[in-house]
Amino acid sequence: MDTLFAVLHMCIFPGGVFALTLGFFFKALDRRVEARLQRRVGPPLSQPWLDMAKLLTKETLIPKTACRPAFLLAPIFGFTGMAVCAAFIPVPGVFDGLFNMGDLLVLFYLLPIPAMAIMLGGSASSSPFGAVGFSREMLMMLAYETPLLMILLAVAMLVGKGLHGGDWGAEFSLLKIVSWQQHTGSLGFNPVMIPAFLAYLIFLPGTMGVLPFDIPEAETEIIEGPLLEYGGPLLALFQVTSALKTFVVLGLGVALFFPGTISEWWPVNLLWFMLKCLGLMLLSLTLVKSATGRFRIDQAFRFYVTVPTGLALCSLILVWVI
Amino acid sequence: MSLDKMLKKLSVRSPWLFRINAGSCNGCDVELATTACIPRYDVERFGCRYCGSPRHADIVLITGPLTTKVRDRVLRVWDEIPDPKVTVAVGICPISGGVFREGYSIEGPISRYIPVDVNVPGCPPRPQAILEAVVLARSIWMKKLGVEA
Ligand code: SF4
Repeated sequence: MDTLFAVLHMCIFPGGVFALTLGFFFKALDRRVEARLQRRVGPPLSQPWLDMAKLLTKETLIPKTACRPAFLLAPIFGFTGMAVCAAFIPVPGVFDGLFNMGDLLVLFYLLPIPAMAIMLGGSASSSPFGAVGFSREMLMMLAYETPLLMILLAVAMLVGKGLHGGDWGAEFSLLKIVSWQQHTGSLGFNPVMIPAFLAYLIFLPGTMGVLPFDIPEAETEIIEGPLLEYGGPLLALFQVTSALKTFVVLGLGVALFFPGTISEWWPVNLLWFMLKCLGLMLLSLTLVKSATGRFRIDQAFRFYVTVPTGLALCSLILVWVI
Repeated sequence: MSLDKMLKKLSVRSPWLFRINAGSCNGCDVELATTACIPRYDVERFGCRYCGSPRHADIVLITGPLTTKVRDRVLRVWDEIPDPKVTVAVGICPISGGVFREGYSIEGPISRYIPVDVNVPGCPPRPQAILEAVVLARSIWMKKLGVEA
């Protein structure tokens, strides 16, 4: 029975259909708001679905020199990782996440899977641009995973302290983190955690690969790098993965820092959750993206290992000391 | 209506554009890359997106008179674009050679090598003309897919 529920959660809510719809909606809104900020009209809100329909009708070309199995498996690999991940995201007041399996450490291991899929696909495509994209993606991953780990540790330690009194222990269960915050107030308003929250905001564009950190897929320099040789349905799968990932990282941000609810009734809570995700997205992705150019890879790497890592470390030390 | 037909009908609302510079003076490229995207003439409202890879392209926009140096490369890149694709020649250069006509290094017009679907004359063409070309290319694409508007 439990397995059945887990599968249902992965396919319908909050993973699968729900996460995909929301992810696509966010992506479209992102493009639209960006266009409005630049005083353009922008594409319709159905654009990601239309792109999907288009990609499904195109032919798939596989390079002769590519490593076929890896090339075909990479998008599926990334998609599966994210589909599982999405089921772990708690929607406060509606659904607790698959709590008996999902905790922060599992999420931390699952989150880099799309990036790895891109790396795998890029190196299997046998194109030199794919190889360049591969090395850039790897550097970016090293750079943004460090602050993420520190943010997660800071949150876990703070909640662990709050839950278990004075004795020192971290709490990695997402369910407990969310419910503790619902009783004692959101961590985003806690002065100790504000540096960590800022670090999370900076982490978002890096992990989503959008401007100014879309260095691995820079279309004007290395013509989309690892995705260069993909087309048709395989590319569509990468887009689905990216939409799911949008949902996952935004939902994780809400769960870690602002999991408050405003009513007893679940539809209101659901809307509230979406609004919070939307706010997070507009703040950290859309606004930044529409106003910046692209960093060089060494600049981005240096930036990530100094600014967000420093901020997250700040929170970590504060939590430890206080 | 069958699913396949429905997908095809929806698909023309997401044309991804790809630019090939076949030795142009950059005038047309500036028109394509920037002017056609500014507030007044935004191409993104048709669902267009400039893509970096020929593998993702639906509509190719070719600028420039096709010089001897780039001829083989242009043809090769054009071959890499998956079908169905629509080719648009932007500017007078790819149509007749324009100001470079009869130059020693000019291989054009481009229609000698590639079937061109839409011509956009002008040096450089006005943004409205480019937008109209994209819309026209969409309807040609629909014809290629075998669905009615
Ligand atoms: S048509 Fe005119 S503006 Fe365009 S590439 Fe040729 S010379 Fe330049």
